[in-house]
Amino acid sequence: MIDYNPSIQYSPPPDSEAHPTNKAGEDDAKGLRLVHLLMGAAEALADPGNDSRDLAKVILVRLKELASARGPTNMERLASHFADALHSLLDSSSHKHNNPDKDLLLHHPSEVAAAFQLLQDMSPCVKFGHFTANQAILEAVARERRVHIVDYDIMEGVQWASLMQALVSSASPPPHLRITAVTRAGSAAARRSSIGTVQETGRRLAAFAASIGQPFSFAQCRLDADEGFRPSSVRVSKGEAVIVNCMLHLPHRARGDSVGSFMAGARSLGPRLVTLVEEEEEVSGGAFVGRFMESLRHFSALYDSLEAGFPMQGHARALVERVFLGPRIAGAVARMYRGGGGGGWGEWMAKEGFGRVEFSFFNYCQAKLLLGLFNDGYRVAEAAPNKLVLGWKSQRLLSASVWAAPAVVDVSPPVSSTSGADFDFFN
Amino acid sequence: MATGGEPDPNTSAILDWLGDSISFIPPFLRDPYESPAIDEIDRQLWDPFEEQNHDHLNNIPNTTTITPTNSTPQPSPPLPAPPSEQQSKLSKKRKQNQPNTQTTNSSDGDNTEEIEETKRKPKKPNSKANNGVGNCGNGCGTNKDSRWAEQLLLPCATAIDAGDLSRVQHLLYVLHEVASLTGDANHRLAWHGLQSLTHHLALNTVTAKTASASTFTSMDPSAFRAAIFKFNEVSPWFAFPNSLANSAILQTLGGGDLRRRSLHIVDIGVSHGVQWPTLLEALTRRPGGPPSLVRLTIVSAAPTEPFAAAPAGYDSSSHLLRYAKSIDLNLEISRIDTLPAALDRETLATSADETLIVCAQFRLHHLNHFPDDERTAFLQSVADLSPRLVVVSENDGDCGGSGCGCGGRGFARGFGARTEYMWGFLDSTSAAYKGRDSGERRAVEEEAAAEVEVGMWEREEGWRWRLEGVGMEGVGFGEEAVETARGMLRKYDSGWEMRAEERERGIVRLCWKGRRISFCSLWTMTITPRQQLGAVDGGVLLGQAGAVTGRRK
Repeated sequence: MIDYNPSIQYSPPPDSEAHPTNKAGEDDAKGLRLVHLLMGAAEALADPGNDSRDLAKVILVRLKELASARGPTNMERLASHFADALHSLLDSSSHKHNNPDKDLLLHHPSEVAAAFQLLQDMSPCVKFGHFTANQAILEAVARERRVHIVDYDIMEGVQWASLMQALVSSASPPPHLRITAVTRAGSAAARRSSIGTVQETGRRLAAFAASIGQPFSFAQCRLDADEGFRPSSVRVSKGEAVIVNCMLHLPHRARGDSVGSFMAGARSLGPRLVTLVEEEEEVSGGAFVGRFMESLRHFSALYDSLEAGFPMQGHARALVERVFLGPRIAGAVARMYRGGGGGGWGEWMAKEGFGRVEFSFFNYCQAKLLLGLFNDGYRVAEAAPNKLVLGWKSQRLLSASVWAAPAVVDVSPPVSSTSGADFDFFN
Repeated sequence: MATGGEPDPNTSAILDWLGDSISFIPPFLRDPYESPAIDEIDRQLWDPFEEQNHDHLNNIPNTTTITPTNSTPQPSPPLPAPPSEQQSKLSKKRKQNQPNTQTTNSSDGDNTEEIEETKRKPKKPNSKANNGVGNCGNGCGTNKDSRWAEQLLLPCATAIDAGDLSRVQHLLYVLHEVASLTGDANHRLAWHGLQSLTHHLALNTVTAKTASASTFTSMDPSAFRAAIFKFNEVSPWFAFPNSLANSAILQTLGGGDLRRRSLHIVDIGVSHGVQWPTLLEALTRRPGGPPSLVRLTIVSAAPTEPFAAAPAGYDSSSHLLRYAKSIDLNLEISRIDTLPAALDRETLATSADETLIVCAQFRLHHLNHFPDDERTAFLQSVADLSPRLVVVSENDGDCGGSGCGCGGRGFARGFGARTEYMWGFLDSTSAAYKGRDSGERRAVEEEAAAEVEVGMWEREEGWRWRLEGVGMEGVGFGEEAVETARGMLRKYDSGWEMRAEERERGIVRLCWKGRRISFCSLWTMTITPRQQLGAVDGGVLLGQAGAVTGRRK
């Protein structure tokens, strides 16, 4: 009854060669194959006995054959970044010191700048975070004479140009604005490049402030060698309204180690407001494979949202993906592989007694207005009175939340995510 | 006032696939699972720990889920079960291969991220004939002895038994990507295993016997001959037991004068004549001279007996007859078309003045052993012939027959045995052909793939139990036979090993990398009251008994 014929090879329905003329169908089929391979590799790596490392290697070899970071389809490029992320888990036993700055050092500064500009133009993510935080800050410091912002990751300082403009136009005379940029210790090379950038940013901001008549001063605060944040290294003057600003979304680099220390230390600064923007990228706890698939979903949505807005600019998107998304994916996968908590600082803050500060209706409307400038697949939703979520279709991309410092300042040792504490993020 | 959060019907590309990857069901997989046969799944074979590993799949709607009914208790076999280590071995293996659900916690609590710029190989065209995986040489930097293909195949079989369709589908996808007919042993195992799994799923043969046809039969006779010769040259898989059998036959004849006796060998084998020239030549050199007549009764095979079947135009007899003539040996060849349910004197045309030897190698596992025990019935018919020697060589493994119900109704158990056999075969051929691909190599590997579908193997202990049950006892291998075998094994890969500790009980084993592959065993009649009373020709029996006792002194 069965005609066993070895010349007929098994082909599943999505075999690309079954429909050589159907380009879309071919891409779909390949996408599905890539997803299964990624999941298979993650499963093999999840085996704690390391018995399946060879299987993981074989699957990753196949993935590298099928997917390139410069490939023509979204899914292919995404799969390539995830495959790279999984591949580096195979080498994690070598205990190389992970250096997040290395990611950016891999790219030429002009590439990074171009990618950043492209990301700003193509996606509302950057502006959504900055505008929403800025609006909350403006509302909180309406009658203050001195405003001091402690910024966790200032990057090029684009967030503050718009805040200064708003301060100048809303009050006369505008309050004095002081910004303390937190910089990381890192390696000597990274420090040079990182601090160089921060100093330039400070100079640029000062020049801009002077040009619009905004009283401004700039300072830096370096993290300890172990990424620890010492609140005493921030000089706070009497009468200042302190704002703690923590932007963790794209294109900011996720630096899981120091966020916990920074947030814990920020409490003792007695901030008027804590603004937090973070990716809604990870679910806490659970098995590695489940979290991995969740992360795949998250970044798929990001890729999709970029593609929907700019379908023809494949090359530009590939650059953004290589510079910003690839490193982020690698970090997220490595973190969940170690069982680390990852994102979800909002939930942690709620537990630590930070008070929720309601978003104003105006802020919500502004966010909606902003999204109107982009593809209509974007959504904004109020997940909590103090939390706005930016989503793509049904997938959450990032959230902005605003908090008030706890009434009683707790001087317990800083909590760092490296301690492996499991935070209950999205329950 | 908030918007969003609702699923959008027009979600775009990647997100769609992610959803699809879970709920998409290839049409060829639907039917088998919607049919009632799945009800026969033995749920106990399914390990509940498997489930935790893919919780994320379970949230996805629209997945066809099958709830297997609890199986009824297995009917006990009609005979006391032969000693078997199947149960413990299998459960042990399943534990080893169980995908684990825990996340690895690394001790270096460094949460910073790292990207590794990976050197890419030049991209290969994505063609099925050369789908890239074959090109990563011997294992893509993986451990040579690792068995990664099993880590996909066995969980897939387990998921089939559990009715976990999305898991099955996922593993099939991954297998499809890493399987290759031309890669290393693991890639090939994945390929053949995938074939087997899809056959099973497409045909819904949980209980129906799969008629897996020999690929030998469709080969060109000369290519077939070349493939057989090459295989025996590079692998001892069959050559080693064949050599042992020849030595045993010579040993049985002893050194006496045979000029007035004939030798009758019933060849139930897979050698396609290759085994015999060596024996024929040795017969001419024995001190007592060759027998007056050598009769070879070859039991041919149906296409449903892989390795034993041959192409239509292939004729080993004329080669053998020509060879016998050239060495001045009186050879007669007769044929029995297929393996009969029983041997009898009429069919074999036995005579009183012949020394009868039944040489059964790698064939008897095609006889059913459950629920009807054709195997013991056949061996009883052999015993009733009172042969001087019975040679039984077999694969030393658990029953993998996809249509055999001996191991319960689950699919995974038999599939595990088949995968075990196939790994031994492919890993050893990979060494035998030194990693090189060839039509000759693929011919025997495809034959092995056909064989596993119908291979109702049994452990050596099981065969011993059967043979003793029909009144036979082991005959020790002589020193010379063992040394000859040891010598011939040296020319093969060093992964092969002979185990002759039990040679005095009549068992010599062939192992590959420490695992039992096959055994060759020698048997003769014991004298029991039952046989003495029941024997038609008591004189012959007593005479033979005398010979046996004499030799054993």
